[in-house]
Amino acid sequence: MQNALWQRGTWWPALAIFLALATITFYLILIASNWIYLGLGDTFYFFTQPRMWQRFWLTVWTSTVSTCFSLIIGIPAGYALSRFSFPCRNVFASVIDLPIVVSPAVIGAFLFGITTRFPFDLISEHYNIYIGRNVYGVLLVQFTVTCAFCARLMKAAFDSIPPKFESVSRSLGASNFRTFFKVVLPMAKNGIMASMIVVWARAAAEWEGLMLFVGASEGKTDIMPFAIYLDWNGGMMGWVVSMTIVCILMAVTAMTAMRLIGGKSHVW
Amino acid sequence: MWLRVVLWIAIILAPLAALAGDEKELLFHAGVGQRSSLNEIKDIWEQRNPDQRVNFSYKGSGYFIADITRSRQGDLFMPGEEFYLLQAQERGFVHHYNPETDIPAYFVTVIITPKGNPANITKIEDFARPGVRVGLGNPKSCAVGIWHEKTFKKAGIWEQVQKNATLSAKCIPELGNAAQHRAIDATIVWSTTAVLYLRDVEIIPIEPSLRGVIRLPVATLKFARFKEEAEALKAFILSPEARHIFHKHAYAVDPKIPVDDQGFCLDGTTDKDMRDLVAAAAAVKDESLPVNAETVGDLVEEVERQRKTVRAGS
Repeated sequence: MQNALWQRGTWWPALAIFLALATITFYLILIASNWIYLGLGDTFYFFTQPRMWQRFWLTVWTSTVSTCFSLIIGIPAGYALSRFSFPCRNVFASVIDLPIVVSPAVIGAFLFGITTRFPFDLISEHYNIYIGRNVYGVLLVQFTVTCAFCARLMKAAFDSIPPKFESVSRSLGASNFRTFFKVVLPMAKNGIMASMIVVWARAAAEWEGLMLFVGASEGKTDIMPFAIYLDWNGGMMGWVVSMTIVCILMAVTAMTAMRLIGGKSHVW
Repeated sequence: MWLRVVLWIAIILAPLAALAGDEKELLFHAGVGQRSSLNEIKDIWEQRNPDQRVNFSYKGSGYFIADITRSRQGDLFMPGEEFYLLQAQERGFVHHYNPETDIPAYFVTVIITPKGNPANITKIEDFARPGVRVGLGNPKSCAVGIWHEKTFKKAGIWEQVQKNATLSAKCIPELGNAAQHRAIDATIVWSTTAVLYLRDVEIIPIEPSLRGVIRLPVATLKFARFKEEAEALKAFILSPEARHIFHKHAYAVDPKIPVDDQGFCLDGTTDKDMRDLVAAAAAVKDESLPVNAETVGDLVEEVERQRKTVRAGS
């Protein structure tokens, strides 16, 4: 029997599944031990504090706004990278990969210098908007980090749609613009929704860039990951642990939603 | 179709328009360790000056010089060590700083150990005992590391303590958290750090001759957009009212604490603060102990805050 097991190689899937389960268990234990450390009474206390939900909504709305901006740029850009050939296309594709492979800290440091210089200084002076240590800074960092990421994911979403539908649509007389909105977008809907959620989760998790570029003012720019850092520095372990739990729940919800919507799309 | 696109953009941009305001916004670079007391000061200040907003940019002190150098923004500066302020002054960023008068508060060094004091530490010399797991700060990245070296060198046990070191911390909360989670047997931190962990650590005052007093300066910056307001806020931070707020968070606030040229105490001016701190740590752990101005001094609010939950929060 054992010999047959070895010969047919069934031990290999068994081992692989075991390792997968072990990894998941490991993470579950991490979350559970954090929660046990916090205790039931404290969980109730911290989760009913307005401070917790202020930060939660701040995180939700900033990352939603920056995701929207990313989508406005990312969808056409991803479409262009997927369908059209234009000069230096490969160079553009590599540039768009930069914010994904470069550490967000680099982006924070980079934004730092740029907002006080031409042409951004003129824009902020004209509109009396002060980009940097306020919520605009948060949005700018989240947008910079996620925009390229978004274009990349959108390219993958459009890549999964065969181009022949577009040629058919165009041959029947539809304009390029109409083809895009009436044929390509509806077909890519699932991929786009799935990518949107990933982009959103990425924006909500952004911290390093904020640390360098924005700094934290309480209640204004301290989105959840940043608030965790601040409270860790203030020795407030209760807040740290309870916000960690909220962050994990947020991430799990987002990823599950992505999987449910995305189905078998090849985005991720 | 187009109408829908325009509508969506309008919806997306709506919160941005609401955020633009005409308030005078002071940008205050402050060490993340001063957060709790500065937030209280900010609340009072904004209440009295409704046209002003104080916007803190909390960071670790090490980040500030790079930040100010590149951004050239900021009205006030209050780092966790005078060293950083002098660095800024050297580069010409500081508008007004008088080292004689512009010190609203001080840090004082204390020993902390995990709850129950497992290694039975009672004085500085115990750090040299073989087998004691000591947490030290890295002198390159945090000011407390410099004080560890100074203190143990003065006590003549630096060599042995280095052998006992099991943690080289990059910032002071790391030391507090390590003691809280029993990863080390003892370390030295500021009184303001120790007060955050009253439930989970024991606090042991250091004898005056080895007790360090660290100056915490505040200055206005050259790039200040609102010079008058910044000066006024600085004056408020130096007022007795604001000093009292610092005192509630375990800072030492006596305007004249006699120290030697290295910064060690010359007498027992800070003894009362140390007694209050020890009493506060006992009161958080034992609910039956009375909490009032006589038993724990100005730390009453801090004790009540930490009694509310098992894990610290506010």
